[in-house]
Amino acid sequence: MLNHHAVILRVYLYLILLTIASAYMGSIDDIWSSEWQGLALTGILALTVIKGWQIVDVYMELKQAPALWRNLLRGYIVLLPLIIGFIYLVF
Amino acid sequence: MELDNEAALALANTNTPLSKPHLPGDLAMWFFILAELTVFAIFFIGFAITRQLYPDMFQQGQSYLHPAAGGINTFALISSSCFVALSLNAIRQSRHTYAAILLAAALLMASVYLAVKTWEYNQLLDLGYGLSSNTYFTLYFFITGFHFLHVILGMIILGFMAFRTINGAYQGGNLSGFESGACYWHMVDLVWIILFPLLYVID
Repeated sequence: MLNHHAVILRVYLYLILLTIASAYMGSIDDIWSSEWQGLALTGILALTVIKGWQIVDVYMELKQAPALWRNLLRGYIVLLPLIIGFIYLVF
Repeated sequence: MELDNEAALALANTNTPLSKPHLPGDLAMWFFILAELTVFAIFFIGFAITRQLYPDMFQQGQSYLHPAAGGINTFALISSSCFVALSLNAIRQSRHTYAAILLAAALLMASVYLAVKTWEYNQLLDLGYGLSSNTYFTLYFFITGFHFLHVILGMIILGFMAFRTINGAYQGGNLSGFESGACYWHMVDLVWIILFPLLYVID
């Protein structure tokens, strides 16, 4: 069982790794002019959701908060990238 | 309130889910955070819609940005957020000096963000691109400038928290102010987490 200090550091590591993964996906020039464009966009936005979820749950400590506040913030970090993805992919 | 503080202390020592839900910080701060997040959400959606209306202009505008600067800023804000979370954990364990040092480290990383962003603004201005150049740069300067101001406000709050920590405040489980400030700073980080791919990564 990790103490909270170790959990914070583990989340930090995740956030850095996910940022590198996201930046790498975006840096592949060919991907944005290929049929993989939609998949790349979905992947980058999915990584954003995972990062935001970690910040909300662990750094903001909303994992232990009343369900209303936890779900409001979690909803924000899921819905906003979904809306952005929808705009980019559909329009 | 007593139970809330006990719950917060328990959180510092274990990862076990608490039996009693605990909302960190002051309720008013959470309403403020929600209001801020709503404003940013409107900006982001507006940016995405406008990008679809003027794809060539946005692609050209994005080519003048520095992805490395965006990456460094992401690293700076994530690190800063981590230091603040560690600081809150330390103060719950009554390690006030260590908590103040961690807040200073958070401020240092926030300063890196300000320095890099200022450099990036200067680069664009030197190239002749400003707030009124075109729709892309209007949105770019407006959204990032708004976020920039939030970072400055967050730094003032973190500085105040560090000052109070050094002066022996936040004793006896009275951590609501500290938690509120920490959550505000994490909100600033959360906004950047969404802003980074929108501006620098998605082509």
